Amino acid sequence: MTGDPLEEVCARAARLRGRAERVRLGEVTVRDLCRYAIAVGDDEYAVAARAAEAAGRTVVAPPMFLTGILSWEDGPPEDELRPDGLGAHESPCTEGLPVRQVHGGQAVRLLAPVAAGMTIHAERSLTGADRKRGKTGDFVVLGLRTEYFDDSGTPLVVSEESVIVLGDVDGG
Amino acid sequence: MEAEPGAVCPPLQFTPTRVRLFRFSAVSWNSHRIHYDVEHARAEGFPDVVVQSTLHGEMFARTVLRWAGPGAVLRRVEWRNRATAYADVPLTCSGTVTTVREADDGHLVELTLTETAADGTVCATGTVEVHIP
Repeated sequence: MTGDPLEEVCARAARLRGRAERVRLGEVTVRDLCRYAIAVGDDEYAVAARAAEAAGRTVVAPPMFLTGILSWEDGPPEDELRPDGLGAHESPCTEGLPVRQVHGGQAVRLLAPVAAGMTIHAERSLTGADRKRGKTGDFVVLGLRTEYFDDSGTPLVVSEESVIVLGDVDGG
Repeated sequence: MEAEPGAVCPPLQFTPTRVRLFRFSAVSWNSHRIHYDVEHARAEGFPDVVVQSTLHGEMFARTVLRWAGPGAVLRRVEWRNRATAYADVPLTCSGTVTTVREADDGHLVELTLTETAADGTVCATGTVEVHIP
């Protein structure tokens, strides 16, 4: 590892670039969808979703549901979280480094509806790492791409997001 | 609802309360402490806990869907975070139609969106594409 944590982030990203990770995220339930909707203040969705469920109709997810969920994992256990609370999976290329991160933005393409009862799979890859200079110092922009599929391989959603990795407040 | 370039989407106002931020972190399994631990947020240089990025995207999506009416289907939602938004500071999402074209028995409408804090700070900007039957 180099002495510069941001350079190390770029070096790790270069090793990961182009490698896709495929994972089975799990089954979407009506409760998942209703909790998401209520958490974002869309109470009407939850009422309509429960009525649809009771009537035996398909319960379609709020459009931003899949990409709104940061992690589908059970863990990690608390003692495996980074000091800032993130898990290693949500903070690629930064494990053990004195850095912090914020989200830069996202582009979400919605290809097909997601519904309760579907089992969701995802393929995630790191698309790039660009070191930049800002007013308060250097930072690295990591590009992440996630494609979501159903059990039959039908594409549902494609997300391209940027994560900004900054040096630690204490001088990293 | 008027889908022609220059048409304005009625603003959607909301206040990201601490409870909302906590529940959104919980439901999205996001344990990043800047969203619920004010001491940690301050240690990272923020004055208060921070609104999640994906909540900006969610509110852009809802602003457009509320305007577009029944049967509308989102095709694309993009946004960039321009400034940090904080708990309990009211936010307003507003949108303007930029393009309209015929597609699939309806119209494909693109809007630009802005999310602004109560003091005028632009927290996020973005683009949404929606199919309106």
